Amino acid sequence: MTIGWFDRLRIERLVWMLDQQLYDLPRAQRIATRREVRANLVEASADVGTTEALRRIGGSRGLAEQYLRAEFGDRPRHSWIGAVFAAGLLPLLLNFVLSEAARAFQDGVVAAHGAGTFTWSGVAGLQTALTVTVTGDGLVSRSGGGWTPLAYVLWALAVIAFGRLWRLRFRSSHVAATSTDK
Amino acid sequence: MTESHDPQLLKGVLSLLLLHLLAERESYGYEVVQRLQAAGFTDVLEGSVYPALNRLQRDGLLGTRLVPSPNGPARKYYRLSEPGRRALAESTAAWARHVAGVEAVLSRPLSEAAGHEGGH
Repeated sequence: MTIGWFDRLRIERLVWMLDQQLYDLPRAQRIATRREVRANLVEASADVGTTEALRRIGGSRGLAEQYLRAEFGDRPRHSWIGAVFAAGLLPLLLNFVLSEAARAFQDGVVAAHGAGTFTWSGVAGLQTALTVTVTGDGLVSRSGGGWTPLAYVLWALAVIAFGRLWRLRFRSSHVAATSTDK
Repeated sequence: MTESHDPQLLKGVLSLLLLHLLAERESYGYEVVQRLQAAGFTDVLEGSVYPALNRLQRDGLLGTRLVPSPNGPARKYYRLSEPGRRALAESTAAWARHVAGVEAVLSRPLSEAAGHEGGH
């Protein structure tokens, strides 16, 4: 049985959906898994048809779960993807909140006092003191208002929590593979 | 040959079956599935076999090599390593003990009275 381009697309779709869920595997292993699943699916499609081949392999989610279990065992796992998302998105969120707080203070002093230099201690615990300077001709400059050490600590803790990185301590030792794959 | 197999029972012996099949001769993933199905395990799905092969390879029980395929991507052939041969021997012996133990219990005759005790 020959495989048409549409069937190849269906196979490729499953392979890439699987790949997206295997980012916690070492990179070389993820690529090797992707290639192997693709090769086996092409083989199975030629044998029993693409629809049946895809049905028998199950969904990408279930297959990914099986591969991750094969690698890390049945116990709860860490997630590098979760940690990366937390590391990237939390600073954006926190910076937005702190920036809005600083802007609110700035708008307040401009509206209430006009020209002058004004200092605010910042959002308690998370933000360093910030100074707003308003000149007579209406120019406003702002300094300070960065992260406190506590904010950095909370960020690190959030990364650990979202990635469940404490589970790395229990990770089984990785047996050197005897594979000759390149 | 049974019509179907309890997935839980199958899960327990899948590694042993894979090791034995690969001790017979090296195979690539889909071929292993075909050989399992030919042996009567028609309800074995690729989705459980490929990760199991991966785990056995990771544990050092299988070696692999890539062989060009006429049908498309290169095939990853699995073969038993020396630790794999030892593991197969141990697992086969353990399986035989397990079956003997189960058979010993199941071969005991059930008395007539035992069947009616739960009703009172």
